[in-house]
Amino acid sequence: MKKLKIGFYGITGCAGCQLSVIFEEDELLDIINLIEIQAWPFIKELNYDKKFDYIFMEGLVADNEDKGILLKLRANTRFMVALGACAHTGCIPAYRHFTLKENYAHLLYEKKENIKDIDPNPIDSFVKVDYIIPGCPPDKNEIRSFIKDIVRDIIPKPYNNPVCVECKRNNNSCLLDNKKPCLGPITRGGCNSVCTNNGLECWGCRGPTDDSQIKIMVDLLINQKHDKKMIKDRLVTFSGTKMPEVKRFVYGKRD
Amino acid sequence: MEKEIKLDHITKIEGHASLILKIDNNKVIKCSLKAVEGSRYFEGIVKNRMFYEAPEITSRICGVCSCAHTLCSIFAMENALNLEVSDQTIKLRKLLNWGERIRSHATHLYFLSLPDFLGYESALAMVPKYRREIEIALKLMKIGNRIVSLIGGRDLHPVSAQIGGFLKYPGKQDLNEISSLLKECKVYAIKTIELFSRLSYPEFSRDVSCFSVYNDDEYGMFNGRIRTHNKDYNKEDYKNYLKEYHEKSSTSNFVVKESKGYRVGALPRINISCHLLHKEAKRYSKLIKLPNHNPFKNNLAQAIEILHAIEECISITNNMEIKEESFKKPKLVNGHGVAAIEVPRGTLWHEYIIKNKKIVYCNIITPTAQNLRSMEDDIRAFLPSVIKLKKEKIVLETEKLIRSYDPCFSCSTHFLNVRWI
Repeated sequence: MKKLKIGFYGITGCAGCQLSVIFEEDELLDIINLIEIQAWPFIKELNYDKKFDYIFMEGLVADNEDKGILLKLRANTRFMVALGACAHTGCIPAYRHFTLKENYAHLLYEKKENIKDIDPNPIDSFVKVDYIIPGCPPDKNEIRSFIKDIVRDIIPKPYNNPVCVECKRNNNSCLLDNKKPCLGPITRGGCNSVCTNNGLECWGCRGPTDDSQIKIMVDLLINQKHDKKMIKDRLVTFSGTKMPEVKRFVYGKRD
Repeated sequence: MEKEIKLDHITKIEGHASLILKIDNNKVIKCSLKAVEGSRYFEGIVKNRMFYEAPEITSRICGVCSCAHTLCSIFAMENALNLEVSDQTIKLRKLLNWGERIRSHATHLYFLSLPDFLGYESALAMVPKYRREIEIALKLMKIGNRIVSLIGGRDLHPVSAQIGGFLKYPGKQDLNEISSLLKECKVYAIKTIELFSRLSYPEFSRDVSCFSVYNDDEYGMFNGRIRTHNKDYNKEDYKNYLKEYHEKSSTSNFVVKESKGYRVGALPRINISCHLLHKEAKRYSKLIKLPNHNPFKNNLAQAIEILHAIEECISITNNMEIKEESFKKPKLVNGHGVAAIEVPRGTLWHEYIIKNKKIVYCNIITPTAQNLRSMEDDIRAFLPSVIKLKKEKIVLETEKLIRSYDPCFSCSTHFLNVRWI
């Protein structure tokens, strides 16, 4: 059988998502046997950048170079996979949309003539995305089973239950009951509730579930007397681009 | 005859770098190394956020060094808010830091650096002939990652390390697992040292100031002053001796010490603190003639640090009894804190000013920003020795030098759109 032609790429990001693939220490050598890795600039010198079956794209679009690379690669692949939160939601770098310009204006400076910042956005703002492997970092099991699915020609199914389902199954006590601003109820699970297992409230890195009730989440946190600005900031830190209505829900007005 | 070499668009782990060289009559007339990473403005992103949110947010600066940023922001906040934590907390933080050191060095040495020396395009291409070596790499990466996830809750972007303590503690079983993995992995660390001591490194040396956190009690870690070859400095007034500046065309800061470049990372650390290495690591450190100023030898220095890290983690976990402790909560709501700690690629700095629990100022200096100046100077000094070679060879040797520093963009030097003009 012909092996699938795969590319792993990174635009602006932290490389953690690509490392999540490399850090499959026990299975890496088996996984790379299942597929043909045509390009992986992070660890390969020779990269053939055409006619891919799947491209796993880490990172968000933060400048015109990122955009150019993304558009070019999209034209050369059958399927585009957003690997990790930056590609999926823009992650923390896209939080810049929701903060004051004066917070970072002093950091802006002139770049190489042909590089220009553009508004930080996830890759689906620019190209069609076929699959999402969410999370910051993405879950290693999910990456592994995704690759095993596609080589067997099975369509990978996205996980759409909230984090609470796995969190309950793991017998954790509810952090919302302890007045922690946990976003588990509105956040897509599939991470085995790794943060709440360790006592940290969910920050929503995997984006909202399809049927998330963001207004109810906001009202609950307001009822628990959390500071409104803190609620707004938390909700948009990792996945703000996927929850444009947050500000209105928190402050009760459109602006 | 004039040649221009443009290594454009060096994509990598954390972004992109480019290198422009102009050579005329076998003389280097231009050498400029630029980070062209897409800007993420983390120092602006944390502004107006609550102080306790900084570790979670700044961790995202770097995947492989996520523990480094988490820990450095925690230390800076504790410094700002005058918070003292328990010995147990410090020990667990050390395990996190050493675990990260092991996985980061192993990944760099085997996946990014070694293929250059053995004439392969990638570690993946080495598998048929060098499967054993790659398996050793994966074993070392695994022990590093396992330590980080058992202590920090997750291997990338750890969750349980927080300001004032840990949200969750490892169990007895976890510590036993770490300790037996460590004992099993020591032999792989030694094999790594042997392998990297046999590689042929270019004869090149440039005497540049080394720079590391130093204290008399342990090899460069969290506490202590900043030590260079001839002088000690206080962390708190770093702005008096370090200066950050922008190159017009780069998206990273360059940093100089008293107007000169300096080196941070494994080799500078060994130069400064070799007498504090554990027994076996110290024995192997004799493979490097110290003090050493050949940046290519940073590879061997990293291999030696892996062995030291394993010995250190064994000694920390030996007889370690974990007690559940209550969190230390800061009483202050205002403060100004600086932290500098040693992380895989060198010294990492975080500085914060807190007003009414909110972050009003943040400054972060990464190891790569500190090495950039001296990397560029090294390339300039190194080029004459390879200038007569074919262009492809010049590129390879230059990449080797850049990668030896293990910069945050070293991996991307595997993706060069080389434009020959």
